[in-house]
Amino acid sequence: MALQDVCGLHNPPLFPQWTAPLSRSFMPEDSTHLSGGGIHGEAFSTRLPGRGGLSPLEFYMPIAEYLTESPINFGQTSLSSAPTKLLEIDHLHPSLPSISLPPPTPCPISPSVPLPFTLSHGTTTLGFAFQGGVIAAADTRSSCSGLVACPASPKVLPIHSHLVGTTSGTSADCALWKRILARELRLYQLRHHRRLSTGGAAKLLSHMLHPFKGTELCVAATLCGWDGDDEKHEQPFTEKHLNTPTNQMTASNSTSQSETSVPSAPLCGNTPTNQMTASVSSSQSAASVASAPQPLIAATAQQVIRSRSRICGPRVIYVCSDGLRLQGELFSVGSGSPYAYSILDSSVYWGMSVQEATAVAREAVFRATYRDAYSGNNVDLYHVTAKGWRRRERENLKEEYYRERERERERLAERNAEKKAILRSDDG
Amino acid sequence: MALLDVSGYKHNSASQFGFKHAHLLDGLNHYRFGTKCQEFAVPVGVDPSKFLKSCNSENGVSIDLNHGTTTLAFKFRHGVIVAVDSRASAGKYIASKEANKVIEINPYLLGTMSGSAADCQYWERLLAKECRLYKLRNKQRISVSAASKLLCNMMLGYRGMGLSMGSMICGWDKQGPGLYYVDDNGTRLSGRMFSTGCGNSYAYGVIDSGYREDMTVEEAYELGRRGIAHATHRDAYSGGVVNLYHMQEDGWIKVCKEDVSELIHKYKKGMF
Repeated sequence: MALQDVCGLHNPPLFPQWTAPLSRSFMPEDSTHLSGGGIHGEAFSTRLPGRGGLSPLEFYMPIAEYLTESPINFGQTSLSSAPTKLLEIDHLHPSLPSISLPPPTPCPISPSVPLPFTLSHGTTTLGFAFQGGVIAAADTRSSCSGLVACPASPKVLPIHSHLVGTTSGTSADCALWKRILARELRLYQLRHHRRLSTGGAAKLLSHMLHPFKGTELCVAATLCGWDGDDEKHEQPFTEKHLNTPTNQMTASNSTSQSETSVPSAPLCGNTPTNQMTASVSSSQSAASVASAPQPLIAATAQQVIRSRSRICGPRVIYVCSDGLRLQGELFSVGSGSPYAYSILDSSVYWGMSVQEATAVAREAVFRATYRDAYSGNNVDLYHVTAKGWRRRERENLKEEYYRERERERERLAERNAEKKAILRSDDG
Repeated sequence: MALLDVSGYKHNSASQFGFKHAHLLDGLNHYRFGTKCQEFAVPVGVDPSKFLKSCNSENGVSIDLNHGTTTLAFKFRHGVIVAVDSRASAGKYIASKEANKVIEINPYLLGTMSGSAADCQYWERLLAKECRLYKLRNKQRISVSAASKLLCNMMLGYRGMGLSMGSMICGWDKQGPGLYYVDDNGTRLSGRMFSTGCGNSYAYGVIDSGYREDMTVEEAYELGRRGIAHATHRDAYSGGVVNLYHMQEDGWIKVCKEDVSELIHKYKKGMF
């Protein structure tokens, strides 16, 4: 995978028969050992010399005996028969074309680990994009079958300054993979002097999770971020709708900004041919635009828009440990998601203001917590713009619920008072 | 059961409710079968509950009885609003886009259907027959509470045998507007707002947030329409048209029958 290479994820060929250059020795017994089913009583762990630790896709594999027994009995297993065996594997030279290999999966052939308690995935998280950025919201209840394990767990985790991820599924898995993703994105940023786009981050996460497909790993994340080269591109995104007459106003208002952004437009990947097409279409749009100086403005605006809408702007991408990766404008994940979806479907639209968007997100999470038993407690709200993410005060939904009840009660009281007044006036 | 006696409702195993008498019918006459009293012909030795247990997913063959639809009903100041979709699906196949999921029991009683279409239609028609008989015998209309109880007891008689029905009985009687939810498990709940079917969670989100007890009639119509429209938008097993009924003091009226795709298009105009 090109992306993993660029990120410097060099996997050692743990299934050596799959790589082309065989520059180290290995024993056939090792490969059966790695597939997990074969030799009992021999544990192994892999260590990469030269990287100073494990690469992100390396995990210590537990002793086979540990996996056949309940985790509760861990302490009672006799360790005498299990010396850790170091595999002598040189990792690939970075310059050689490396076929990235799946790391050893947690024993697909051996019996599955008996769980000490039943896991269940209950939550409500949502993310949507609009003209003012991206809103990511979630409840804060961590449940474990019937028990509320933590009423104040953060389910929206910031990954870097312009990317926030909502988590759903197993809390431990989500937290771990978010941290791994954050580390890899930081390394990318240091190596290449720019942030990886949301799409790239989603792809990276999806590829990192793929080797665990079929195991009990469960991560369903929505990555919400703002892609952009630098903070200069802060114009409101209403320019996207070129057909509306109001756009002429916004185009002329933002001339000063677009002027400064035009020279930096090539950074966004704008080639000279784009400028040509922009001017061609601007001559067409000149017919619809009344005054003479405006075609120039429309051209620059259009040029900026075309490049920006392709690369910069708000992005919401859903990544799942099944391997699914979907880009969209609106996602809701979790057991409470159907309740949230209907509210989001009816109220979310591109041109909404920031206050509207936060109100809708809050209402959607509140409705989901109202009906879903596994969602509740508080609501966390993050707003990602070109300047980065901003976190809103965590709000306890219990107060919202009581406020709504009060409102209903007041209204009923009003109505009864009205009725009484009408009856009295009838009598009198 | 006092109510059953008053209704003159005879069940084959009525003497001991819960005991299922199976007597052999020799000289089975197909023409008169089931006309005098209700009876079912079951092959000798068949135990429906045991058969169903063998059909659940752990043992291989899985018959998933999902209530594939969306129906909703809520009480408000001016009566009861009932809204249903119209898609009848058989697995992946859409058997009908314009199925009628509301049964008009009498001008003051409506029943919605979700779950197995056959079960719903049969049992609610049976309920309609019983309501009519009640009216003829007692010279007054049956109350919503009693009608729902009749249906509930019918369901309890066949509990565990694989019926699939989730229905809301809505009406207006002497006590005012009435709304009951009756289930194939025998659940019978009175409430202010219900939604059944696999699209119910989507509908709940919309009607929960828009519901106020003192809504105007037009607002209530719009809320019911929106609930079904958004549920059909997200749920694969719901679709077709929204059939909207309004139960008023002097009977029900059918408000509208609107295509959901047009409704969604109307709501989303000006959005993305």
